[in-house]
Amino acid sequence: MKLRQRIHRLQFFATDAWDEWRHSPGVNLLAVSTLAAALFLAGLVSLVLGNVERRVEQLRDDVRVRIFLLDSLDDAGRGALERELRGMQGVAEVEYVDKAAALERYTEWAGAMATLAAELEANPLPASLEVHLVPGPAAEAVGTAVAQRFRRMEGVEEARFDRNTLHRLEALLDLARIGGSGLGVLVFSAVVFVMASVLRLAVYARRNEIDIMLLVGATPGFVRGPFLVAGFGMGLVSSLVALGLVEGARRGAQAYAGNRALVLLDLVAAHPVGLEQAALLVSVGLLVSLTGAYFAVRRAV
Amino acid sequence: MEKQQPMIRLYSVTKRYAGGVTALDGIDLEVARGEFVFLTGPSGAGKTSLLRLLLRQELPSDGQILVNGRNVGALPASKVPDLRRYIGVVFQDFKLIARKTALDNVAYVLNVAGHSRSEQRRLAYNALRSVGLNHRINTLPRILSGGEQQRVAVARAVVNEPELLLADEPTGNLDPDLAVEIMRLFREINARGTTVLVATHDRELIQRMQRRTVVLRDGQVVDPGTPER
Repeated sequence: MKLRQRIHRLQFFATDAWDEWRHSPGVNLLAVSTLAAALFLAGLVSLVLGNVERRVEQLRDDVRVRIFLLDSLDDAGRGALERELRGMQGVAEVEYVDKAAALERYTEWAGAMATLAAELEANPLPASLEVHLVPGPAAEAVGTAVAQRFRRMEGVEEARFDRNTLHRLEALLDLARIGGSGLGVLVFSAVVFVMASVLRLAVYARRNEIDIMLLVGATPGFVRGPFLVAGFGMGLVSSLVALGLVEGARRGAQAYAGNRALVLLDLVAAHPVGLEQAALLVSVGLLVSLTGAYFAVRRAV
Repeated sequence: MEKQQPMIRLYSVTKRYAGGVTALDGIDLEVARGEFVFLTGPSGAGKTSLLRLLLRQELPSDGQILVNGRNVGALPASKVPDLRRYIGVVFQDFKLIARKTALDNVAYVLNVAGHSRSEQRRLAYNALRSVGLNHRINTLPRILSGGEQQRVAVARAVVNEPELLLADEPTGNLDPDLAVEIMRLFREINARGTTVLVATHDRELIQRMQRRTVVLRDGQVVDPGTPER
């Protein structure tokens, strides 16, 4: 078949699919809503996982050791510590955070709860040295060594290089990914089934028409064409609607979290669904609806 | 001079349905190219079954059916659409696509045959004009009267200039004047070279047309009629 003929055929399939949609909008709306709802849920999971992953990535790159200093340590002692730290391999920068700066950071972080600190008579937060390490595979070993060595030094209250939280978070994220994928497969198998059933209803409603088409010489492929194009259109519309809803929900969550200082909600809604995840969602939507349409029409033609 | 191949040739064709009902019982029949033939007989004689076999809606239980030299029963499924594109069909219940206009119903046949959109519209319009419905091209079937629907079905059957036209009780739902009008159209189509086979039990119509008439009874040909020369 020539290219021009193929284009004409596709145009006809699209026109016919749209025509069919206009004549029985109920069944088609049901199919689109079902798929859009499933994709919306998948989009939400993807949004949360994406944002948590982004945060974990930031934490992973932010390799630093915090050395909390005793109030009794004088400037000379602090200077000696700083010099020793700067001389170590794998240390990129050493930053001194005095007590006032520590309080300021806390106030910024705690938001509405910061009034608690204001009620205290004296600033309880210790000054610290923040040791930024050169990011890379060796950073973890360097950080552990720095923490172990400096926590025993005079004038040091505590040296902290806590990677356990990050590791736990990474493990949780892995678990969520595996669980999400498993759940995703189950949900989408169910959605394919529902889509196929709904589309089968549409096909059933048109069985006389299909018979007529076959009787006047249409090939099964020609009869299936508009159904498959309709399936493609439904997948596209459903996934775009779902993406729109996810973005709407994200913005709503952001506004809600901003008003009430909900740090966690703010974290999971910080960034929109990435381009890759959006493309994946659209591809899944198209795949599900095309598969559903194919199975629905294959039984009739 | 070599004898021209017949348009339809049936060799001992039998059609039995589940439950033991025999619709056609070993019939032999030949219809020449360009002939106009009536197929008649009482209800249940096997007229519709014969047309269904010719269109490969069903397979014969026994025997062979040749349409334009092609063994219909042995055709692979992938070749059935090709066969149907060379056969125009008019059904008693019209079988029009409800959501398509008269023009789109007629154009659909050309669309499946791969004609361009402009050609589809031009030929479909001409076919509808030939049945006197050029003023109803954008009308949906449910708005049309029974006679108009049947004329759309005729236009659809002839738009592709088929080699064979099959009609199953095409005047069954029409008043006598419209029935005559439909027959006039069939005669015109036949005059252009299309072989026409019309199943009907309307004896008055058959007498008026004076064409070869094959009589079926209980699945057998009781009178093969006199072939036209």
